[in-house]
Amino acid sequence: MKFAFFPGCVLKGAAAEAYSSMMKVCERIGIELEEIPNWTCCGASHAQGVNDLAALAVNARNISIAEHMGLPILTVCNTCTLQLRTAKYRLDHNPALKEKVNAILAEAGHPYPYQGTSEITHFLWVLDAHPELFMDQVTDALHGVDVACYYGCHILRPQPVMNHEDGKYPESLERLVRRLGGHPVWFAASRKCCGFHAQLAAEHDVLTVTGQIVDSAYREGARLLVTPCPLCQMQLDMYEPEGREAVHSSAQLPILHLQQLVGLALGMSQKDIGFDRHVSGKQQLKLG
Amino acid sequence: MDVTLHIQRQVEGRKWYQDYTVPVTTGMTVLEALIYVKEHLDPTLSFTCSCRSSICGACAVRVNGNAELSCEVLVETLTQRYQTERLTIRPLGNFKVIRDLVVDWDPKAARIKKIKPALDPKPEFTPETGCKQTPEEFNRYKKYAGCILCGSCVSECNKNTLNQKDFLDPFAFVKAEQLTADTREKDPKERLKAVLDAGLWRCFNCQECTAKCPKHLDPAGAIEKLKEATFKYGLADNVGAKHAKAIYDDISESGMLDESKLNIRSEGLFLSALRAPMALRLMNVGKMNPMDSHPVNPEIKTIQAIVKTAEKEG
Repeated sequence: MKFAFFPGCVLKGAAAEAYSSMMKVCERIGIELEEIPNWTCCGASHAQGVNDLAALAVNARNISIAEHMGLPILTVCNTCTLQLRTAKYRLDHNPALKEKVNAILAEAGHPYPYQGTSEITHFLWVLDAHPELFMDQVTDALHGVDVACYYGCHILRPQPVMNHEDGKYPESLERLVRRLGGHPVWFAASRKCCGFHAQLAAEHDVLTVTGQIVDSAYREGARLLVTPCPLCQMQLDMYEPEGREAVHSSAQLPILHLQQLVGLALGMSQKDIGFDRHVSGKQQLKLG
Repeated sequence: MDVTLHIQRQVEGRKWYQDYTVPVTTGMTVLEALIYVKEHLDPTLSFTCSCRSSICGACAVRVNGNAELSCEVLVETLTQRYQTERLTIRPLGNFKVIRDLVVDWDPKAARIKKIKPALDPKPEFTPETGCKQTPEEFNRYKKYAGCILCGSCVSECNKNTLNQKDFLDPFAFVKAEQLTADTREKDPKERLKAVLDAGLWRCFNCQECTAKCPKHLDPAGAIEKLKEATFKYGLADNVGAKHAKAIYDDISESGMLDESKLNIRSEGLFLSALRAPMALRLMNVGKMNPMDSHPVNPEIKTIQAIVKTAEKEG
């Protein structure tokens, strides 16, 4: 199975452990990744609020490069997935807009137009649809550990764009955790937004909800939290101390990227998955 | 099929849950199930409804945590989605409850006034001739005029759930965008100032409002259009706008976010200096290194040209 890989900015920066663990896990389970050459930032769910057409054209360029490679696109960030899939949805449903954007790409000297031939998917969705990729390699490393499954928002909504499953009642992450040998635990704050995208503009509220999510997961017995989004991961991991303070909690949880949990289930060590680059729950992770 | 409705009751400050078993027939809506309870099981259960045709917006409730227009959604759709024959029904979230499933719209009506929710027409307007508008201009805001004020969009709004004081309900932003995009409006800039005060940039972008709108109006998209309009009207001197602009500019300057400079460009040198402890925390685990050089995309000229061309077109 081969994909054009769109890593997104944070995997090349603050969440480099998400990148390295993704490479290791994909190699182990036979997913071939070819990075989209010279991709740009997807707009991080902010660029369209400055200039929508420019943000759309930039993503049309990203997708068109993968189309030229003849490959479907794989991402491992909720927001990148939403931004790319939103661009694709709009361009595929509006021929006039597609023509306008392609005229922009051509005038700017980009060598190929957006066509709409490459699907865009998320790593979670691939694992959910293809358990045969990893099932025979799963060890008993997770020992039925209680795992808080935290989807984040942009992998679930809006439904017409992000339609792997019913966004009002998703089950893919819980299903995956069970297949990996873990035990998903229900927690009240599982569907709350981590607030990453409003961290600067609504800081107090964002830190409060960060604390609520971690505290809620911990109180329900989770011993680690897993998320398919590196932005949620950064918010919950980097700001966990401030979150604790905001909600007067003592909860400390390791916050794992999806691919890190897969790596642990396949028998990788904490070092293999880059856990040394985490901020929170360093003493609490008893696996790997 | 018998379905149990586990309904949140609230009467004069007393709150409890009560179960009702309803014989559900094919095509029965949640509202019809509630009416069955009232007519056959418990006349004291209170809820609101009127048109039963998804037009009046009176009957929205929360089922298993998600806002639904009860006259539109079928019970069997929900029992299939949640794989259960027991549904929990509560009043809409982020509303004051009057009784049972009845919520109070008076505070919401007071809040929406903050964005001046009526058209202030251009001087060309007269009662006899109105204002001229092309079909294309009409189409710019037509969608948003379809809001039925059902309140579904705010029920699971993450920002509202945390703090309503500095952020309006998504339907208020829909109304604001409808009027901002309306070419008959005399002074969109004045309304945009009010929209900024109403918390435009504090939106979490969680997309709950868009997921819940039964009319598919995309309130989260309306918020993005309002943000874009603040740039056009020169109203982008705030932390949220500067942060978005910093990300936008990074695409043209290098192709990728420059995380080490994002805070400085968003908040300025002084405020971002207060974040030094966080920077140190990240440097300690190797998540940030101010000495790292930020790579520049080899196709940056093309990327810049795409952005510039789009800006001209838009």
